[in-house]
Amino acid sequence: MRENPITRPIAELSADLRLGKLTSPDLVENALDRIATLDRKLESFVCLAEDARDQAAVADREIAQGRWRGPLHGVPVAVKDNYLTADMPSHAGTDAPGVHFARQDSTVVAKLREAGAVIIGKTRMHEFAWGNVTPPSKNPWDLSRVPGGSSGGSGAAVAARLVPVAMGSDTGGSIRIPAALCGTVGLKPTFGRVSRAGIVPHSWSLDHAGPLSYTVADSVYALNAISGHDPKDPGSARTDVPDFTAALGQPITDLRVGICRNHMFDSNQPDVDAAIDAAIRFYRDAGARLVEFELPILAFGLGAIFAIELSSSTAYHSRNLASGAVTGFTEDVRTLVEMGRLVTGPDYLKAEQLRRVLIDDLAKVFADVDVILGPTCPLTAWPIGEWTVRVGAQDESVLAASWRLTYPWNLAGLPAISLPCGFDSAGLPIGLQLASRPFDEMTLIRAADAYERGHRWKEMHPKV
Amino acid sequence: MNEMEMLFEALGIQLEKQRRSAVLAAFQPMAQEIAKLRSLDLTDVHPAVVFAPMPMSQQD
Repeated sequence: MRENPITRPIAELSADLRLGKLTSPDLVENALDRIATLDRKLESFVCLAEDARDQAAVADREIAQGRWRGPLHGVPVAVKDNYLTADMPSHAGTDAPGVHFARQDSTVVAKLREAGAVIIGKTRMHEFAWGNVTPPSKNPWDLSRVPGGSSGGSGAAVAARLVPVAMGSDTGGSIRIPAALCGTVGLKPTFGRVSRAGIVPHSWSLDHAGPLSYTVADSVYALNAISGHDPKDPGSARTDVPDFTAALGQPITDLRVGICRNHMFDSNQPDVDAAIDAAIRFYRDAGARLVEFELPILAFGLGAIFAIELSSSTAYHSRNLASGAVTGFTEDVRTLVEMGRLVTGPDYLKAEQLRRVLIDDLAKVFADVDVILGPTCPLTAWPIGEWTVRVGAQDESVLAASWRLTYPWNLAGLPAISLPCGFDSAGLPIGLQLASRPFDEMTLIRAADAYERGHRWKEMHPKV
Repeated sequence: MNEMEMLFEALGIQLEKQRRSAVLAAFQPMAQEIAKLRSLDLTDVHPAVVFAPMPMSQQD
């Protein structure tokens, strides 16, 4: 057995598992050893499954009997702490007394189990998916820096090669931001592509479920397993699910790459701009056509997402507000939950009208463009405890800066992916973000996979 | 009850006075962004959320 097999991508693991060159118990043992050794520093996991070895043994038996379920069969996968699980407690990142969640599998967890994955544990998150910091988790590239959030535990665990896939949730960027800051792939599918049933809600019309992973292909295997209509999620789309692996290894000479020159490039750290410029040149040199455009409506996007997110979160926490449980939340989250009542009904609906305009404007863009390219974050991972950073010519709140380029795709529900595209002068990862038309993950994957195959970023991982 | 108290009660804002100050202060930058929306004339734009009267189990 090669050393530390858990650090290898799923395609390699799956082939060896199927041929019997590797066993799921050995893979799980390797993951547990690495978690025991490295996670003391990272604090990316909040809970480990007591029956992980039993799950692995079952998977092994099935594979040996020829009952192979697919690429995830026998592979350890982690899930964010807001995904309900039958075999592990869920806390959604909160220690507040009086807040309890059911012990039952969310739809995504059930689908991962059906795919044969070993659900090895639950990753830390920022409380109730508010916030981009995820304390006390650390960034594996620099333990003095944040992993991002709110799926920061998943980002750190994947970046440190503890598990090849960890599920996250994304309301304004919470899969893509930790993916960018930790140097992993992070995929937010189209709104409705993946069920949110059994994931503790943050904002019903903004929440998306998706994977963080070592490679684009690893996220694709997860997406294949977890996609599909679910009557338990009112937002779940009744849309056919293709085999997303068909988009891997495809040419991009016909691809039209859109570059939104307003908003996405207004104020980024110079290293980020340089890395994205290099990515643009890659696509141009690979034969793609570059199309520049502007989306003036984005000037109003922040107000829209504030109105929708704040009012939704407060509505969800009505019970916690009435019971007083909210007094046990961390101060920043408590304040956000309490202030949602200050958003008026007309302002909320104006935000939903703005959303309609954005969706229609994007549809016009996508008549001439196949994917929209830009940075995931305008900055790289910031030091733990810092709340202001210099980005471009001005000081900015790290929270405001970090989600500036990701939330538009939550407002519009577009599929979007972040993948590694280089490092800044301090050796911190930079993320490239691609977005495509609703339910066109195939084009998104084709574009992302081509970029990944043309570079070696996925082979670089931190020495924790 | 003064007007501010009446407004808070009407909006269901049950916060002690010292929390009110903190919450209002934290809300200010967000309120400024939300206020920008009011300058847009979106009279003829239907909101992105659309009511569907059929139960989930019977929707196409």
